[in-house]
Amino acid sequence: MTKKLSSEITPQTTYLNRKQFLKALGIVSTSAAVLAACKDKPFISGGDLPSGTSPEVHTSGAGVGTDELSDTLTNFEDVIGYNNFYEFTTDKEGVAKLAKDFQTSPWEMQIGGLVENPGPISMEEIRTRYPTEERIYRMRCVEGWSMVIPWHGFPLAALLEDIKPMPSAKYVRFESIYDPQALPGQSNRYFPWPYVEGLRMDEAYHDLTILATGIYGEDLLPQNGAPIRLVVPWKYGFKSIKSIVKIDLVEEMPVSLWMESAPNEYGFYANVNPTVDHPRWSQATERRIGEFSRRPTLMFNGYEDEVGSLYEGMDLREYF
Amino acid sequence: MKAWILENISKPWRKNKKVLASILHPLVHLGSSLPLLVGLWDFWQGGLGANPILEITHRSGKTALTLLILSLSISPLRQLLKWNQVNKLRRPLGLYAAFYAGIHLSIYIGLDYGFQWRALLANSLTNTFILIGSAAGTILLVLAITSLNYFLRKMGPRWKRLHRFVYAAGILAALHFILAVKPGVLRPWPYASIMALLLAYRLPPVQNWVKNSL
Repeated sequence: MTKKLSSEITPQTTYLNRKQFLKALGIVSTSAAVLAACKDKPFISGGDLPSGTSPEVHTSGAGVGTDELSDTLTNFEDVIGYNNFYEFTTDKEGVAKLAKDFQTSPWEMQIGGLVENPGPISMEEIRTRYPTEERIYRMRCVEGWSMVIPWHGFPLAALLEDIKPMPSAKYVRFESIYDPQALPGQSNRYFPWPYVEGLRMDEAYHDLTILATGIYGEDLLPQNGAPIRLVVPWKYGFKSIKSIVKIDLVEEMPVSLWMESAPNEYGFYANVNPTVDHPRWSQATERRIGEFSRRPTLMFNGYEDEVGSLYEGMDLREYF
Repeated sequence: MKAWILENISKPWRKNKKVLASILHPLVHLGSSLPLLVGLWDFWQGGLGANPILEITHRSGKTALTLLILSLSISPLRQLLKWNQVNKLRRPLGLYAAFYAGIHLSIYIGLDYGFQWRALLANSLTNTFILIGSAAGTILLVLAITSLNYFLRKMGPRWKRLHRFVYAAGILAALHFILAVKPGVLRPWPYASIMALLLAYRLPPVQNWVKNSL
């Protein structure tokens, strides 16, 4: 098929407005049509760029793109080979192998709780209803390492608008798949499976918050949370829950798996913050995967301008 | 049955335990050098994964702990098997443990934190597991230096008392590992359990019981 320019399928003014907004955030956008055009090809790490990409846009197809801070994208091999996904194993470099045959199709998410439009939604529906765009985000793990990852996804806000939260809804609660047969790590009874995470309503509606279905221009691989996962770039990586099967709108603050496992170490907010240390280690610096020296950790992982106002007046030491 | 044991196990054991100890001696040197050689090879080949500095930090730490455990298992082996010759493996094992602990600490200070003393100091003050690990490392370093015959002669009975600090190093090293991982991660527990067993073996009630049963 012939590749289309993004501008051909989106009204010019809307496109430019959105483009300017996203550019201000340092976010890159490609249209679903462009992605569809290169979808059938295997991942190629060199130069196979969608032709619709305009020159000023940072691109990821070649593995040489950058984020808005000019940080280089992390190697594709590292992004798919170094994963915290305790449902498989606590060994970061052992996840990919164990996750190889994990079935992510068919898949559906149950939408429920305080919404006007509850019910299941299949991945097919999600793919047709929500066009994805590329978002290059820094990902900072609570353990002190980080990556720069080109996700493909859509704003969680788009889904929320369709399912219509009731006024009483205050939080979004996410749940990962529970299947000890397929997920050997779930036999570790220390953790109260399934994995649960949550966001406050304003966090969930924030434009930086996305549901990702792809990475580096390809569908997500199981080790990265296929087929659909949350990405909240200003929070520690564990907030970005993987392989979601359930989304509920709730009134009470959800208790996440990590809050339940170690309440003194992991809080609900988990905002990246170099000035609030983990009880057992400093969060002032991080090692970017692929780099030799540590680099200073940025407030809200470098997204302070975008999200700082959400937490105005809050003691971030107390609400860690 | 008793005669069979005497004929097939006890007798050959008594005859060969000296030989076995002298075979084990070079194996200790070979085995203890291997983690370093493999590490250098993997570094050369790019086989240290996505986070190489963390990888070699973990490897050197686990090697140090393993060697410390081995050195602490020598005395029980000698006592339980009446195997005096095995004792000569204790010093090299302890020295290699201290050597890998030194590498572990150097990687942390030099490679991980690039000698940024202020960050390192801040880290040590806020993080118990760093403090605990540093204490274990310091003990092993002091014991390694004083293991020289010169100090053994010069210190007399104080030498033995000083070297009992190896038990403290064992406890601290295991604790350091446990506190370094997220809760629910089970990797430290095999090491910690064996360490606990070996240290419990030294407790006076256990020692009395062992001596009475032998």
